[in-house]
Amino acid sequence: MTTFVRRYGTLVALVAIIAAFSIASPQAFGTASNLINITQQMTLLAIVAIGATVVMAVGEFDLSTASVVSFGGIFSVFLFKLGVPAPLACLAVLAAAGVFGAVSGFIVARFEVLSFITTLAVGTIIGGITFWLSNGATLFGDIPAGFRDLARGKSFGIPILTFWLIGVAIMAWLVLDKIEIGRRLYAIGGNREAARLAGVRIVSNTMVAFIASAVLAALVGMLLTARIGSASPTGGGGFLLSAYAAVFLGMTAFREGEANVPGTLVGAAIIAVVGNGLTILGVSTFMQDIITGLIILAAVLVRRTGAQGR
Amino acid sequence: MTKPEPDLTLRADHAFLTLRGLKKHFGGAKALDGADLVVEAGSVHSLVGENGAGKSTLIKTLSGLIVPDAGEILVDGLPVTIAGVQHAESLGFRFIHQELSLVPYFTAVENAFIGRPYPRKGPFIDRAAMRRTIEETARSIAPDLPLDIPVGQMTTGQKQLVEIIRALIGAPARLIVMDEPTASLSDGEAARLHEAVKKMSDKGVAVIFISHRLDEVMQICDSFTVLRSGCTVGAGRIAETDRAGLVHLMSGREEVRGAAQMPAPDSPVVLRVRDVPYGSRGTQVSFDIRAGEILGLYGLVGAGRSSLMKLIWGAQPHAGGQIELDGKVLRAGRISDRIAKGAAYVPEDRRNEGLITSRSIADNLAVSQLPKVRHQAGMPWTSRRKMVERSEAVQSTLSVKMGSPWDGPLTLSGGNQQKLLFGRWFGQATRLLILDEPSRGVDVGAKAEIHALARRFAAQGAAVLMTTSDMDELMALSARVLVLASGEITAELTGDSLTPTRVIDAAFQHQTEKETQV
Repeated sequence: MTTFVRRYGTLVALVAIIAAFSIASPQAFGTASNLINITQQMTLLAIVAIGATVVMAVGEFDLSTASVVSFGGIFSVFLFKLGVPAPLACLAVLAAAGVFGAVSGFIVARFEVLSFITTLAVGTIIGGITFWLSNGATLFGDIPAGFRDLARGKSFGIPILTFWLIGVAIMAWLVLDKIEIGRRLYAIGGNREAARLAGVRIVSNTMVAFIASAVLAALVGMLLTARIGSASPTGGGGFLLSAYAAVFLGMTAFREGEANVPGTLVGAAIIAVVGNGLTILGVSTFMQDIITGLIILAAVLVRRTGAQGR
Repeated sequence: MTKPEPDLTLRADHAFLTLRGLKKHFGGAKALDGADLVVEAGSVHSLVGENGAGKSTLIKTLSGLIVPDAGEILVDGLPVTIAGVQHAESLGFRFIHQELSLVPYFTAVENAFIGRPYPRKGPFIDRAAMRRTIEETARSIAPDLPLDIPVGQMTTGQKQLVEIIRALIGAPARLIVMDEPTASLSDGEAARLHEAVKKMSDKGVAVIFISHRLDEVMQICDSFTVLRSGCTVGAGRIAETDRAGLVHLMSGREEVRGAAQMPAPDSPVVLRVRDVPYGSRGTQVSFDIRAGEILGLYGLVGAGRSSLMKLIWGAQPHAGGQIELDGKVLRAGRISDRIAKGAAYVPEDRRNEGLITSRSIADNLAVSQLPKVRHQAGMPWTSRRKMVERSEAVQSTLSVKMGSPWDGPLTLSGGNQQKLLFGRWFGQATRLLILDEPSRGVDVGAKAEIHALARRFAAQGAAVLMTTSDMDELMALSARVLVLASGEITAELTGDSLTPTRVIDAAFQHQTEKETQV
């Protein structure tokens, strides 16, 4: 029983929250179209959070995430304005983000600098580059329609954005749970020195994790731009804390104390459902923040006391 | 082992501190098993014994960190129960540990006052008064110690002096326990420290001096206590004994040769280490291990055994020289290269360097050889079924008692955890096995199984390099032993010369008194 609560408690909480909102607002919240809409609303947050999950699998943090999201949007529009074809521009954005991630990962693993400090510095640099590219202004216009279609419309009644989430989640789950690199990443996160002495290469594997995080963040920056038709140099600002909140919520689910993709999806869903539900009920946004924060604290405390009770 | 009657020539009625019959068990292991200690006021008392003899546990009973299961502690002839660190402090006991506890950015003056009441001028700390206090103490102990530079810029010897000064201020000190204060000091610095110790003793402060350097023990101590296997096996005045007498008391074993056999003379050299510099002095080491041989590496704590093992394993790059495995040169600092060439390693500290405790048993067994649990060769997909099969194979081959392979490794006993670290190399054609304290903290049964395992690796033609603090283990497994002291090989013992006394004698040899003996 306690194992069940510890394992599936967070999932049960998500279902309970959905049920509660459905009862409170059966006409607006508890409809199929709203629930599908929530999957779209949570997509961007969830993809950033999946990137954070990979970095947390190696036991590190990536605080440059928000900057990379903003950079992804600005750099793509910047390239469009130069007349670079969309597919090429997208690849260039992802490659640039990959370089940022590689730099952070290399510094963290090779020189054993705290990832907190490294990614704070790298994030600041990326923020500077982003403002430089955009002159501090929101960029719009010259965005190809084909690019905007990456995040618009529906297919088979399901929003295109939701497909992105499904694709990224499956990929990340396969990488972390089904192929060798995932075992290596979790080994590093579990005990870096033991993993090193067991023959796991610390530098290259840590770099892979940071590259994944940065590339996913840049992808989100582009999807955000595609969706709203413009890019702001501070567009990614809100993602960092929510994404890590989703990962921490997810660490209380399925696997004890380890960042994992299904858990992160549940965590992101909780944050999205609470936001959506409270908005429908007419609760102000600042109240939403307070409630979300309390939910995260509650989840972590339940886990702590559960772990102590063993 | 029958307990020899300790020769307590030190009269307890002169003593300010007496420990009698202390016993302490940790689980099944006896850390102290009838330890006695008598220290006279103002004397310098040497506490000696090989690794694991119980010195640290004995000291911890004095500092209040450990409550003994049996026995009594008398201070000034009155029994006391030392309830904690603060109680020990109020009794006038001070401890200077080997890992110094100084703040590197603080000066000597600032460091000395950590945890002590600061002199005040109104609400403010009176820095001038602080400095005066320290100056006064320093004048009598170490007059030329710089007081105003950050401790981080000092030499180890100067830091030791700061610790001594710190111990002497505040409530009056009656006993200072120094744990290997000279282990990493140059001879000149050690001499300065000896002077400070003498001056303290002149002031009536007793010193318990733990050192592996028997030359300095003979030189500066008044009396001694020898511990072996948690038990006091000898005590007396330094003037009435000599170095050989202390070594004999410490080793105390029947002078039998080990049971281990040398490999056949024609068996090929597997590991060849040539001119590899290591340790703080960068001395070069060279040695070979042949197929089927278990080479023992013995040394006291701090002699640099583990760092030599890690160097050979590639956990730290070697700065020069050459390491060859089966004639192939190993790349400096590349562990994966060694695994591919058939090297395997079981680290000393299984909780921090061995097991990945947050992962499952199956993951811990697979982590070094992930390609072995692929769905199909050439594709990096990991098969859970093959991980389970691998775990079950290890479970039956090494007789590991475990539940599900998906349980965490900490659900197992110490002995079974240790077997997992061996099991990590299951399926590898192991050519070189590096063992660092292979049976530390495991019960007797598991120890025998681990020894059988090491012998099995050797019998299959692997070269085994083992370091251990356990003399019985060394004698049981190795027919040839290298002894390290202060980062140098001080002896290579084999055949008739391989006896516990010879090993310990070589291990206690300091730099300056080294002699060639093979």
